[in-house]
Amino acid sequence: MKTRLLLGLPAVALLLLFFVLPYVEMVAMSFRAPASGLPFGEGHTLLHYQRALGDTLYLGALGRSLLMGGVVTLLCLLLSFPLALHLSRTQGRWHVVFFACIVSPLLIGVLVRNFGWMLLLTVDGPANRWLLAAGLIERPLRVLFTPGLVVLALVHVFTPFMVLPIATALRNISPALREASTSLGAGRFETFWRVTLPLAFPGVQAGVVLVFVLSVAAYVTPALLGGQGVALMPAIVVRELIGSFAWPFGAALAVVMAVATLSVVAVFTLLTQGLAERTRA
Amino acid sequence: MTQVDIAGLTKRYGGTLALDGVALQARDGELVSLLGPSGCGKTTTLRCIAGFLTPDGGEIRVDGQDIVALPPQKRDFGVVFQNYALFPHLTVFQNVAYGLQVRRIAPAEQQKRVAEALALVRLTGLESRLPRALSGGQQQRVALARALVIRPRLLLLDEPLANLDARLRDEVRWLIREVQQQAGITAFYVTHDQAEAMALSDRVAVMKGGRVVQFATPREIYQRPAEAYVARFTGEANMLPARPAQRLAEGLWRVAIGETVLEVPGATTLAEGASALLMLRPEALSLAPTGVPARVLAAAFLGASQQCDVALADGTRLRLQASPHLAVAPGDAVHLAVDAAHAWLMPDIAP
Repeated sequence: MKTRLLLGLPAVALLLLFFVLPYVEMVAMSFRAPASGLPFGEGHTLLHYQRALGDTLYLGALGRSLLMGGVVTLLCLLLSFPLALHLSRTQGRWHVVFFACIVSPLLIGVLVRNFGWMLLLTVDGPANRWLLAAGLIERPLRVLFTPGLVVLALVHVFTPFMVLPIATALRNISPALREASTSLGAGRFETFWRVTLPLAFPGVQAGVVLVFVLSVAAYVTPALLGGQGVALMPAIVVRELIGSFAWPFGAALAVVMAVATLSVVAVFTLLTQGLAERTRA
Repeated sequence: MTQVDIAGLTKRYGGTLALDGVALQARDGELVSLLGPSGCGKTTTLRCIAGFLTPDGGEIRVDGQDIVALPPQKRDFGVVFQNYALFPHLTVFQNVAYGLQVRRIAPAEQQKRVAEALALVRLTGLESRLPRALSGGQQQRVALARALVIRPRLLLLDEPLANLDARLRDEVRWLIREVQQQAGITAFYVTHDQAEAMALSDRVAVMKGGRVVQFATPREIYQRPAEAYVARFTGEANMLPARPAQRLAEGLWRVAIGETVLEVPGATTLAEGASALLMLRPEALSLAPTGVPARVLAAAFLGASQQCDVALADGTRLRLQASPHLAVAPGDAVHLAVDAAHAWLMPDIAP
C-alpha cells in the first residue's frame, strides 16, 4: 500500500504543479482589483464578474462560441461516423494508410495549416480559379474571413478526435453480434440501427466531448480565418490579457468560458450516461 | 417439419480447402452433431448453413429448396453462438424479443411469446436484467430462448457449451436436448467433445480435413467406426494390425492376431488379404483365468472399474477396462478374454 502511494506521487505532483495550481491562480486572479499601468492592483473585487456577465458583448461572444462549438461538433460527428466505420473494418496495410489519412490534419502545424487555407481560398487563389475555369461559378467566392470557413477548418482539424474513439468503440463490437442480428431476421440497415449504432455510443460520447471542448476554446484558427467580423470568446480573453493587459478581467472571462463549456459537457454527459453505461463494452 | 440435405459443399480460403465436398442430411426433428477437432470444417459447415459464409460449391436444401443464395436474415434459422452473442445494451426481455420486433409482431404477442420462451429455459423473472448481470449458463439460456422464440425452421448451435464450466455444461446440455425435442426442431450441433455429441445426438457426422468421414448414430460410430480416426476420436481404442483371412458371411471375418484366431464383425468394404485394423475397445477385453497370456504394465483403480495397461508376449500394448473386484499389480501375469462380438475390423486408412 505504501509503495503504491509512493509510486503515485510523481503524477500527483505533476498534476498539482501544472494543472491545479494554474487554475487556482487564475480563479484567484479573477477576483483581484484592477489597476492602471499594472496587470492587477491591491485588494479583491467581484466587479469583473459583474462586467463579464452583465454585458451583452461578452455574453454574445460566449453564446457564439458555444454555438459554433456545437455546430462543429455536430458536423464532425456526421462526417466522422462513416469514416470510423470504414476505419474499423479495414485490415492490414490499408488500415495503416487510412489511419494516416485520418490523422493527417494533426501532422501539420496550426499556422501552416491555416496559411494553406488562406492561400487556397483567397479571391484569386487556386480554388476560385478552378471553379471559374470549370464554369461552376461566375464570380470569385469570398469565403476567406467568414464564420463558415472557420467552422470548415475546425471540422477538418478535429475530425481525428471524433473518428478515433468511435472507431475504437466499433472495433470492440463482436462480429458475432451482427451475425446474431441477421440470423434473427434483421437486414443490414436494421442491424446497423439496432446494434452497431447504439454500441458505438461510448466512442461518440468521448468524441463529442473532446471536439466540443476543443472547438469552443479554439483561438488561432478563428483569429486567422475568421477576420474581424466575428468576435469569439477566446479572442476576447486573449485581447484582455495581452492587448489591454487587464489580467483580472481576462481571468474572469476565461473562468466564465470554462464554466460555461464544462456545464454544457456535464449536462450532455448526464443526459447520455444511461446509454453510455449500457453500451460500454 | 424441416428436412435438410447438404451435398457437395466446398469452401476455399485462399489456398486451403476448408470444406471438401461435405454431404449431410437431417431428418425432421433430428439433432445432428458435427464432431471433429479444430480445423476439421465443422464450424465452417455450420456458418454456411446459417448463411454467414457463402460456400464455393454445393447445395444446401431445406425442405427441397436450395437456400445458398438466400441471405441469413431470410432463412429463419435460430443460431446459438459459442460466446452467447447477446446484445449487451439490451435487457434479457429485449434480447429475446429482438427477432419478434424485427418481424413487427404486435407487442402483446411479443410479451406472450417472450414469456413462454423464458419459461422454457427457466429464466422467468430475469426479464429486466442486462446480460452482464447474468452467469454464463444463464446467458447461454437467454441465447437459446432468443433463437427459439422466432420459431425457427432450423436450430444451429456452435459449440454452445464451450465457455461453460463442467457443472453448467451438463445442465445446459440437457436443457438444449429437452427443448429441441419438445419443440421438435431440426438442429445442427457443432462440438469437439465426443461425449457431448454422443449424449445429445440422433446422428453424428465425424469430420476430418473438410470431409465427413462417417455419418451415423452415436452407437454405430462408437462400435463400428469407418476408420481408425473415428475410433480414436470417439473414445479409447486399441488398434491391432490384422489381415482379414477369410470372409465367413456378410460383415463377418476370420482374422489371425499372432497365434490367436478370432471371428469378428467388420466393415463390408474390406477385401480378403488387404491390410486392416482390428479395434478392441477397453470394455471388449477382460481379465480371465485362461486366454491370451499378458503381463500387467500399469493398473489404475477408478472405483467402478479398473484401468489396466498390459503387454502381450510380442510386446503389443493394450488398454482394458477390468473388473474392479480383481486386484492386479504391475508385473502380474494375467490372461485376457476377448469379446469378439464387440471387436470391429476396419480398413487401414491413414489418419
